[in-house]
Amino acid sequence: MNLSPQTKHPFITKLYEYQELIPDFEGLIDHLYRPMPVYFRINTIKTGVDEAKNFLRQEGVEFQDTIIPELIKVVHHNHKRPLLSYHLGYIYPQALSSCMPVLALDPRPGEMVLDMCAAPGGKATYIAQRMEDTGFVVANDRKRGRITSLLANVKRLGITNTLVTQARGEHLDLPYKFDKVLVDAPCSGQGKYRIDPVSGTLKHVVKGKTDLSAIQKALIKRAFDTLKPGGILVYSTCTLSVEENEEVVDFLLNRRRAKLLALELPIDFSPGITQFKGKKYNEQLELTGRFYPHRIDSVGFFVAKIAKDGTEAPAS
Amino acid sequence: MPRLLKTEQRHLLLEFFHERFGMDQGHFDPFDIFAFSRQAFLFRRQDKALDWPASSFVRCGLPFVRNVAGYLKPTTVFVQRFGNLATKNVLDMEMEQVGQLCSNGEIILSALPASLDTGYVIIKMQQHYLGIGLLLEGNRLLCRFPKAMREAISRLTPG
Ligand SMILES: C[S@@+](CC[C@H](N)C(=O)[O-])C[C@H]1O[C@@H](n2cnc3c(N)ncnc32)[C@H](O)[C@@H]1O
Repeated sequence: MNLSPQTKHPFITKLYEYQELIPDFEGLIDHLYRPMPVYFRINTIKTGVDEAKNFLRQEGVEFQDTIIPELIKVVHHNHKRPLLSYHLGYIYPQALSSCMPVLALDPRPGEMVLDMCAAPGGKATYIAQRMEDTGFVVANDRKRGRITSLLANVKRLGITNTLVTQARGEHLDLPYKFDKVLVDAPCSGQGKYRIDPVSGTLKHVVKGKTDLSAIQKALIKRAFDTLKPGGILVYSTCTLSVEENEEVVDFLLNRRRAKLLALELPIDFSPGITQFKGKKYNEQLELTGRFYPHRIDSVGFFVAKIAKDGTEAPAS
Repeated sequence: MPRLLKTEQRHLLLEFFHERFGMDQGHFDPFDIFAFSRQAFLFRRQDKALDWPASSFVRCGLPFVRNVAGYLKPTTVFVQRFGNLATKNVLDMEMEQVGQLCSNGEIILSALPASLDTGYVIIKMQQHYLGIGLLLEGNRLLCRFPKAMREAISRLTPG
């Protein structure tokens, strides 16, 4: 394979640290030059899957079904601006892999669920959808600007079961505990990287974040402490970095009575890493999942499903 | 923090929806109604929301209805979600007609079903509940859809 000069970009060079760990690493680099496919999640709170598909066809959208019945892969559409289906709250543009943390969390009608880093709401609104808009969802985010888009999405999708809050997740002061908690943590976003094949520019680079691992560790610990006994925590990122993924979960396993659970998810993933750069992590980390962009033709993701010890089972 | 509507206020508000749109009050039994600035919000009932610390509270539930110049105006998102519960003051329009309404901001309707009164009406196209229009004397219908949605409809129905 010929690696073009753009792959010498410092952010890409960093990916080479994982050359030995990522299956078909060259395939990953090649994939960076391809456009990321667009997927639409159909919002079954406002419409039916078939009804929305028919309307999308009327709007000139060509699409394919995916393994998730409510998610379609867009093959072609002419519209530069949002479709009417979007304004009607029938669709939410959401990557295939971005659905995985929610499927792992498996929220059920009537439960109490916290999404600690929720904006702009892709996963929080999917959680509400899986709960059939019943029970109680708290969608929190730290940043005012991003809360605005979270509010707009909750409203556009017609959701009634969600409370939106603004706080630093690690300092959330809660009057009660949750059946399930999602931490879709702020991260370096390596799973979203794309290289423009014409200009060679690297896109979707997250700059200016310092010590993400420390923030992620504080978030995961607080999230775990907000669970009811027997509750479920899902930790996810859209990065490939071991420091932001396995190391963060390992930190929790060392400090709390937490147990990793096996993932049962409908798309291909590789097991989590237990040794990296001379560091050894808890063997349980093999149960976490790494979703590589070139294997799934979507954003790269990491997902860990964690149980809290306890007799009190989630309300489902 | 939002204020939970007391039984009497709740009844008055839902009575408006019953009278104007024929929506049965019972449909809203699973929800609490909160008032916050000049809007009311529908929130799936559970006993926890109001215990939340005020310092981090932003909003709960779906904007439902607002007070516009002394009149109650249902929100677009409410109509899109719950419009199917309405049994009157629903205007079923052809796509082309909706396109004209959005491009011009208003249209004169040639014939009106007897079940329509002047005031806010729910606009439906095929089986899709789009939003609110304001029906005035002389069969004049004003579009009250959000701007971006009007533009999307105009793109869908060119000419
Ligand atoms: C990966 S994004 C979340 C995406 C979101 N879950 C979705 O599916 O649409 C991470 C979010 O974490 C928020 N964030 C950053 N630091 C935070 C903190 N300390 N507490 C809570 N949220 C934080 C950011 O504002 C950002 O919206």
